[in-house]
Amino acid sequence: MSHAAAKTASPAGRTRDPFLLLAVPSLLLLGMLFALPIAFLLLKSFRDADGALSVAGYIAFFSDPYMLTALRRTIVIAFETTLLTLVLGYPTAFALARARGFVQTCILIAMILPLSVGVIVKAFAWSIVFRSDGVINKTLLGLGIIDEPLRLLFTETALVIGAANIFLPFMVLPIYAVIRQINPNLGPAAATLGAGPFFRFFRVTLPLTLPGVVAGAAFVFSMAVSMYVIPNLIVGERSQMLSMLIARSFLYLRDEQMGSTMSAVLLVIAAMIVIASSIILKRLSGRQA
Amino acid sequence: MNTRPPQGECGMYLDVKGITKSYRDNTVLDKLDFSVLKGELVSLLGPSGCGKTTLLRMVAGLVSADSGTIRLAEREVTTLPAHRRNVSVVFQNYALFPHLNVRENVGFGLSARGMTKAQQKVPVEEALALVRMEQYADRPISALSGGQQQRVAVARALVVAPDLLLLDEPFSALDRKLRETMQVELKALLRSRGITAVFVTHDQEEALAVSDRIAVMNAGRIEQYGGPMDLYSKPATSFVLDFVGMSMRLAGTVKSAEGRLLRISTAYGDITAPGNFIAGARVLVGVRPELISPGLPQGSPEATNRVTATLSDVMCLGAKTLIYGAASGDDCLVCEESGAYAIGLPSAGSPVTFGWRVEDTLVYPAEHRQ
Ligand SMILES: Nc1ncnc2c1ncn2[C@@H]1O[C@H](COP(=O)(O)OP(=O)(O)OP(=O)(O)O)[C@@H](O)[C@H]1O
Ligand SMILES: [Mg+2]
Repeated sequence: MSHAAAKTASPAGRTRDPFLLLAVPSLLLLGMLFALPIAFLLLKSFRDADGALSVAGYIAFFSDPYMLTALRRTIVIAFETTLLTLVLGYPTAFALARARGFVQTCILIAMILPLSVGVIVKAFAWSIVFRSDGVINKTLLGLGIIDEPLRLLFTETALVIGAANIFLPFMVLPIYAVIRQINPNLGPAAATLGAGPFFRFFRVTLPLTLPGVVAGAAFVFSMAVSMYVIPNLIVGERSQMLSMLIARSFLYLRDEQMGSTMSAVLLVIAAMIVIASSIILKRLSGRQA
Repeated sequence: MNTRPPQGECGMYLDVKGITKSYRDNTVLDKLDFSVLKGELVSLLGPSGCGKTTLLRMVAGLVSADSGTIRLAEREVTTLPAHRRNVSVVFQNYALFPHLNVRENVGFGLSARGMTKAQQKVPVEEALALVRMEQYADRPISALSGGQQQRVAVARALVVAPDLLLLDEPFSALDRKLRETMQVELKALLRSRGITAVFVTHDQEEALAVSDRIAVMNAGRIEQYGGPMDLYSKPATSFVLDFVGMSMRLAGTVKSAEGRLLRISTAYGDITAPGNFIAGARVLVGVRPELISPGLPQGSPEATNRVTATLSDVMCLGAKTLIYGAASGDDCLVCEESGAYAIGLPSAGSPVTFGWRVEDTLVYPAEHRQ
C-alpha cells in the first residue's frame, strides 16, 4: 500500500485521502468478526428448520403477544435508562468541564474506573444495596420514610438504575468532549446582550451541547437495548428482555430461526438509532459549518 | 485632536471607584478609580496582565469586585448581573454564536429582550447596514473572514442600544492594514451615534488613534489618564514615558538643585533639567526623540543640553529617521528627524552630539523604573 498508489483519483474526480487507509485494519477486524456473522444470522432468520426460505420466524414473532411485550419492555427499559443517564450525566459533564486540577481528575476517575470493574462484580454489589435488608431499605426505614421494606431487587426500576450506573460514562464523556469545544466567552457574550440564565441555557448552551447529547444517547440506548448480563443479574427470569429470549432460543430451545429473528429485530432497532443519531448530528453540524 | 476636558464629579457617566480584585494572593486591581464621560471614547492601555480585561469584565458585570463601587448612567450597578446592565461587549475573539447565522447573531440581544423575529427585522437590517454586512445576513459565522466577524460582533453589540460599549482588543486578530481601516471606521461609527465606549488595547498607536482619552494601566492601577497629547508630552511617570511613544532615557544622579533647575550627571556628561529633587537622588532622564537634534541645537548654550556618543545606527523608517548613539546599561540614546535624513550624516562609529532644550527634559525618580 504505497502512498502514491493510494492517491488515485476516485470516480467522483476527488483525490482520496490516503489517511483513510489507517482505518483498514480495524475495518477488517469488524468485517470478519461482526459483519460476516451478523449476515449469517440475518440469513438464518429467513430459513426454517429444513433450510427452506421463509418469513415464518417474523410472522411468529410479531403475532406472539409474549414476544411483543418483551419487545416493548426492552425498548421502554432502554429508553428509561437513556433518559436517566442523560438527567444524571448532563450536569455531571458540566461539572467535569468546569472543575480544574485535582477535582477534575477525581470526577474523571470516578467516571472511568467503574468501567474497569466487571459488570458481574457491580451487579452483585447492587444486589447487596437493593436487598430488602440492604442499605437503601435500611436508610429509608431508619428515616421513617417507609414503614416496611421496599421491593427493589428483581424490579425494572432497579434494572434501570443499575444499567444507568453502568452506562453513565458513555453519556458524560461525549457531552464533556463537546462542552470543551465551546468558546467559554459565549455565555458571557449572551449575558451582556441581555440574556438571563434560562435564555442563555435554551438558546446557547443546549443547542451547542446537543451533538454530545445525541451521541451519548445513541451510545447508551444501543447498549441498553441489547444488554444481557445486567438484566439477568438484577431482574432474572421475572421480566425478560429480548436479549435474554435470544439466548434462551439458542441455548435451551434450539430454535435457531426464532433466535435469529429476534436478533435481527434487535439489530434493526439499534441500527435505526445509530443512523438516526448520525443524521441528526450531521444536521446539527451542518448548521455550524 | 478632539480632547474634551474632564467635567466635575457629577458629570461622570461611568464611575468606577476604589475597585479592588484579587485572585488568591494576586492583586489584579488595586483600589482603582476610573471614569468616563458621556459620548467619550476611552482606551485602557497597558502591558499584558496588568488587569485591563479584568476591569472591563467587571464593568460588564462578568466579574465581581472585592470592594469598590461602579456607577453607570446615574445607576449603581456594582452588584447588578451582566444581563441587566445594558453594557455590550465586543470580545477579543468576537464570541459569535456558531450555531446561529449572521442575522440571528445580530438579533440575539433583541430576542433576549423578547422581540419577535418580525420585530427584529428592521433594527437588524439597520445594524448590518451600519457595518456594511447586509449581503452576508444569511451566512453561517464560519463562512466569514476575521474582519467580517468583527463587524458582526460590533453590529450585535450596537443593535441593543447599549448604555456603554466595551471592546476587548477588538482589532488584535486583524492584519495591520485591515486593523487601521477598521479603527477609522469604528471610531467614525461610534462618534456619529454618540456611543460611549471603552477600548482595551496594549497597542499604544491604536490607543492614540481611536480615543479621546487614554488610561495607562500598570499592575492593577491607572498610572495616568488624559488626552493623547498630554500623555505623550507630559508623561506622569517613567512607566508612561516608556509605554507611550519612544524616548531617550538616561540614568543619572542629581549633583545639585538650584531653585527649579537640577544639575544631573549621566554617563555621557552633565545635563540641566527642571524638577524637584534633592542632591544625591538617583533619577531617570527622558526626552522625546523628535525634540532632539543631531548636532548642535540652536539657542543659547545655557538653555540647551548636549551629550556626545558614538553613532551606532541610523534607521530610515520612511517618514522619519532614527539616529542611535551607543549607550550602556538601560540607557537609550536616540533622536528622530523627519523625512529620509541620511544626507550629510556621519557614518556609524563617528562621534555624534545629541542636543535638546532644557525645558524639554523630563526627570523621574529612578526606582519607578520597572
Ligand atoms: N479567573 C482568574 N483566576 C486567577 N487569576 C486571574 C483570573 N483572571 C485573571 N487573572 C490574573 O489577573 C491578571 C490580569 O489579567 P487580565 O486578563 O485582566 O490582564 P490583561 O491586562 O487583560 O492582559 P492581556 O493584555 O494579556 O489580555 C493576570 O495576572 C491573570 O493571571
Ligand atoms: Mg486581556
